[in-house]
Amino acid sequence: NFNTVSSIKVGVCVCVCVCVCVTSSATRTPLNNVGVQRRSKSYRLSYRSCLGTAASRLGLTPALTARRLNTSRRALKPHGVAEKVDPEQLALLVKTEWQLSYVTPLHQFRHTQLKSYSRRLAAFIAAGKQQGLAVAVENPQTTFRVSFSLVEGMTESADDAETVLIQIHARPSFAGQDEPQRPAWSGWLTCVNGNPDYLRSLPKDFTCLPLFGSSGAEGLGALVKSWFQQSFDCCFGPLEVSHTSLQWLMALWTNCHTEASIQHLKMIWTLPAVPPLEVTYTVNPEDAWELWRSVRKQKENRGGGGEEEENCIDIEEVADFVQGLKSHFYRHFRLDLSAGSLNQVSTALGSAKHSGRMKISNSRYMTTTLTLLTESALLKMPI
Amino acid sequence: MSLLKPFSKLPGLNSANILLVESKEEFQQSLADALVQETAFTVNVRLAKSLPLPMENEESRPRIDLVAFIIDLTSELSFQSTEASLKCLDPGYFLGKVCFMVTNARNAAAPIERLDAVRKLAASLHCPLLFTEDQTPDGVTNATERLLTILKVAAGLVPMATALYLSNLTRSTVSPDIDQPSFD
Repeated sequence: NFNTVSSIKVGVCVCVCVCVCVTSSATRTPLNNVGVQRRSKSYRLSYRSCLGTAASRLGLTPALTARRLNTSRRALKPHGVAEKVDPEQLALLVKTEWQLSYVTPLHQFRHTQLKSYSRRLAAFIAAGKQQGLAVAVENPQTTFRVSFSLVEGMTESADDAETVLIQIHARPSFAGQDEPQRPAWSGWLTCVNGNPDYLRSLPKDFTCLPLFGSSGAEGLGALVKSWFQQSFDCCFGPLEVSHTSLQWLMALWTNCHTEASIQHLKMIWTLPAVPPLEVTYTVNPEDAWELWRSVRKQKENRGGGGEEEENCIDIEEVADFVQGLKSHFYRHFRLDLSAGSLNQVSTALGSAKHSGRMKISNSRYMTTTLTLLTESALLKMPI
Repeated sequence: MSLLKPFSKLPGLNSANILLVESKEEFQQSLADALVQETAFTVNVRLAKSLPLPMENEESRPRIDLVAFIIDLTSELSFQSTEASLKCLDPGYFLGKVCFMVTNARNAAAPIERLDAVRKLAASLHCPLLFTEDQTPDGVTNATERLLTILKVAAGLVPMATALYLSNLTRSTVSPDIDQPSFD
């Protein structure tokens, strides 16, 4: 009873707004195909403006940054990342576990001055060592060699800045020349498929590379971050992989099972019992694929259709998929995983932890994973 | 299914009855202890994990003036159990005799989507949505004060103010673009 009463009221308001928008956008629609995308944008602008008066009355200002992740995204396709990116650099990026952070836009960062940045960072680290900042090395005589390199080909759209890879090698004074060197610390800054509206709205001198991954000695990582903060007036902050992002990764990775076997779908949940109960829930890849397929088929039956929609995955399908896994667990163990929290998801394609640690094991599906993470990093931007 | 009805019993004299529904059963205990400290009128606090309430107490239960649902944003089970309990309330309660309390809204483990869902739920039912902090005694005191304000009106102890009137002023609203991320 109460539901219908409230829905009638809401329905009236929405109808009014929709009518206004449709008429105003119809006049702006050009006749060629390119206009299809523009029409949706003008619809959105007019939707905002017709509610703008209401918004200003309530005192809300539409922010430039989003408040939540996209509700639907394209399914993973095996991209030609392997062809576009230098395989040596690619090998450095996969199969390592990275700790993620978000970075605010960098002021006056030039991709052409990477060599000078390497020298300055090396000098900064040497100065830091002299001052006695904690840099864990066995031999206090080691000097550090820093290299900034450009990883071309990881980005797709023209608005994204190119990825920058930073490596710090420790060069002990007494080592031989032919020793294979693993970097003492390595990190990268990237922006993959960042929102073009936000990227274009930044002032001229700012470069947006919101996703930062680091692996190696903690002290070196802290030094690198403080150097960046001093040189480019930016801020670093921890990036957690949110509950929703973990669910998205589960669904996206399972979706690839036909092309590249995920080998297992492992989830780690923590339940708030006393003492806290940790549940490792491993699903056979074939069963996970069956469940995912049936969820997709349900969506098709319900109303989707057409070429575009086949590639799009909605958040409802992801939620149904996870709900299916949880109810299966409940049927066997009488434990409702909804009462706990999802901490880690891992498959053969990669793994992600809620604390912000991420590993990509297969370079073919790197782009969509990085797109998701770039979106979550952009969500954390302070403005 | 037995619905909880708001007006099927007679009210008590200078007293108010509140029902706290919480799936986790943690916050409701400290909140209840603080609520009964009120001296201006008698506050009877009933605790429940979920609705429907057991049939055995049907006769001895007084008229419930305010039903407060406590949702912990870090637990999905809390939200789902609240949604299921809402179906066991008589529609008369939604004229100002229901309120939602949310804890752990600032916790990083609480996904934003869940908060949006709670907001939409409260807005669609025209109920107030209170954000509370349950770990410190100050937080419990603040939550108690706000609940008592609504409880006094819902129990009819404030002259010239009814629950329906107050709900018009306190009900939760959602911003127009809550469903639409700014990103395409």
